[in-house]
Amino acid sequence: MIEFDEAQKRLVLKLVYYGPALSGKTTNLLCLHDTLQQDGRGELMMLDTTEDRTIYFDLLPFFYVAPSGLKIKLKVYTVPGQVRHDATRKAVLQRADGVVFIADSQISQQSINAESFANLEQNLSLVGLDLEKLPLVIQFNKRDLSELVTEEELRTTWEPTGLPVLMASALQGWGVLETFQAAVEGLFDSLDQKLQLLERFQVDRDDFVATLTKAKKL
Amino acid sequence: MTESPTHIEFIIGEEKRLSDIVGKLEIEPLLRSALKLGINRVALLDEDERVLVALGESIVEQQGMCSEIRLPILVEGEPKGTLLLASAGQIPGLEAIARLLQDSLQLTVTNNLKRMLTTEVHTSIVQESYEQLVSTNHRLMESERRYRTLARDLEIKVKERTAELQQAYQRMLQQEKLAAVGQLAAGMAHEINTPLGFIHSNLNSFAKYQNRMAEMLGLYRLLLAKETSPETIKQQTEQRWKELKLDFLLEDSGVLLGQSLEGADRIATIVAQLKGFAHLDGMEQQSMDLQHELKQLLAGLAPQLPPNSRITTDLQPLPPLVCRVPLLLQAFANILDNAIKSRSEGLELTVYARQESDLILVAISDNGCGIPAENLPHIFEPFFTTRPVGSGSGMGLTVAREAIIGAGGSIEVESLAGQGTTCRVTLPHG
Ligand SMILES: Nc1nc2c(ncn2[C@@H]2O[C@H](COP(=O)(O)OP(=O)(O)OP(=O)(O)O)[C@@H](O)[C@H]2O)c(=O)[nH]1
Ligand SMILES: [Mg+2]
Repeated sequence: MIEFDEAQKRLVLKLVYYGPALSGKTTNLLCLHDTLQQDGRGELMMLDTTEDRTIYFDLLPFFYVAPSGLKIKLKVYTVPGQVRHDATRKAVLQRADGVVFIADSQISQQSINAESFANLEQNLSLVGLDLEKLPLVIQFNKRDLSELVTEEELRTTWEPTGLPVLMASALQGWGVLETFQAAVEGLFDSLDQKLQLLERFQVDRDDFVATLTKAKKL
Repeated sequence: MTESPTHIEFIIGEEKRLSDIVGKLEIEPLLRSALKLGINRVALLDEDERVLVALGESIVEQQGMCSEIRLPILVEGEPKGTLLLASAGQIPGLEAIARLLQDSLQLTVTNNLKRMLTTEVHTSIVQESYEQLVSTNHRLMESERRYRTLARDLEIKVKERTAELQQAYQRMLQQEKLAAVGQLAAGMAHEINTPLGFIHSNLNSFAKYQNRMAEMLGLYRLLLAKETSPETIKQQTEQRWKELKLDFLLEDSGVLLGQSLEGADRIATIVAQLKGFAHLDGMEQQSMDLQHELKQLLAGLAPQLPPNSRITTDLQPLPPLVCRVPLLLQAFANILDNAIKSRSEGLELTVYARQESDLILVAISDNGCGIPAENLPHIFEPFFTTRPVGSGSGMGLTVAREAIIGAGGSIEVESLAGQGTTCRVTLPHG
């Protein structure tokens, strides 16, 4: 949690899109930016990139105001996936309230996914966060490509963890919103536990989730 | 040693105020351009409606005519500031100017924010590496401290170990001496066994000879009792005498007995040395004239000198010395004996004796084979010998030193291998 100021009725949350290089984290945010309504969100801020590769991070902020007047700002970040930017990843991960792990579905990328996941575990513990307690959503992206690990296989692997696992193609724009929604739900649940959002600030789960994931009217 | 740096924590994306992002100097030129277009007042307010920058005059008085435009300035999509334009009269295109100004302000804010965020990442990385550096340094200091403790402990341990080693060494010396006792026993056994062996076999032979002699005597007795004629007696006994080889027997008996006596003497000498070493006999203290005794000793040794020897002496009159005389004589005899055996010919033996205040100094030098440096520390150890077992007991110098120390004196040996040896004996008198 970046900030919680009860007097100012202000809560700032952080959701981090993590994952190996080129798995589609930035594309996920771009897609969210394109599909979601403008009034609940800010602009997508992409700090310097070189040829598609995130060097610092991308940031897409979302806003929600509860009937109680509590303003919730949700900042969605991507980390740079390239191995050499580990320090930046660690810095961005600080005080995260939730993590979306964007994996690449291609068979060839599985060990790279695993490495990145191990790196996530390590960095979380380095910044003092507990993977077990953090809302975590897994997305297998690039389902539009061939030579993929089958969905069935992925589900059997991940089902036992109880984590939400979603299939997506950020390029084609499907599965992205569902992933985000799962993350927002997870975020709400973990925050509600900590802060009694509903009880104390009348933050309704459905309303919160619906507001943050409201798609543009076509 | 927990010297953590004054920790400035950078949380990536920490909330910022508008005033954190843009400064007055940066915005003023932008706002001033609006004034040039005829707008009376331009201002940028922060999230609390406080003025960050304001230009132009206040236009409160001219109410009614005035038009005012307020536009938000966003930070991360959130309105964090307000751009305010006020004009007394109607200005054509005020709205458009306001939007233009808003856009450029917004651009400045966003660019500044990006730069700040980039800097934050850098700072955070730099800080992390700094903290890593600090913690590395800390670890290094920690390990250095540990090494220092270790080094100190080590010193103590070395001391302990040294003491242990010294004890062990002492034990070892003790064991070496015990082993040497074994060697001595072996040497002694050999020394004694050799004469004992020939005494035994000599006596055996002599016993057989004695039988034959007895038989011869018996024959004489028998013939005399028969009152046989002298011719017959002579004839019969002469024949038996030859048969019994009595001529050889009588001659050999003398040799056998002589050898046996000699052997017995050798054994006696060995035992005497042993007894001397072990102080077995409670010998009486007597007065001795060392000058005289040394002369006697040297004279007695003359037959044993190797060919072409030369003895130089400077024996001054000495005060009487009260000591266990035989032991001290043995000491000097042993020292002289070593000197004599140090060379097979051309020995140059020098013996000095003189008094110096209340000390008697005796120096015995030879030009013999000398003692190798590695053996020097051992020469006084009991039973140490470089000569083969049987030719020396290895007790000579040990006995000498025991006797000299027993008399309250000291002995020093200086030697160079191949050049010679000097023994200096100091004895107190009176
Ligand atoms: N085919 C396909 N390509 C995708 C998909 N999602 C992303 N890509 C492509 O993969 C490349 C990398 O995407 P990014 O979103 O920049 O990847 P990233 O995870 O942000 O990479 P880093 O910033 O280096 O960590 C781009 O060329 C995308 O167009 C997808 O679902 N299918
Ligand atoms: Mg990226």
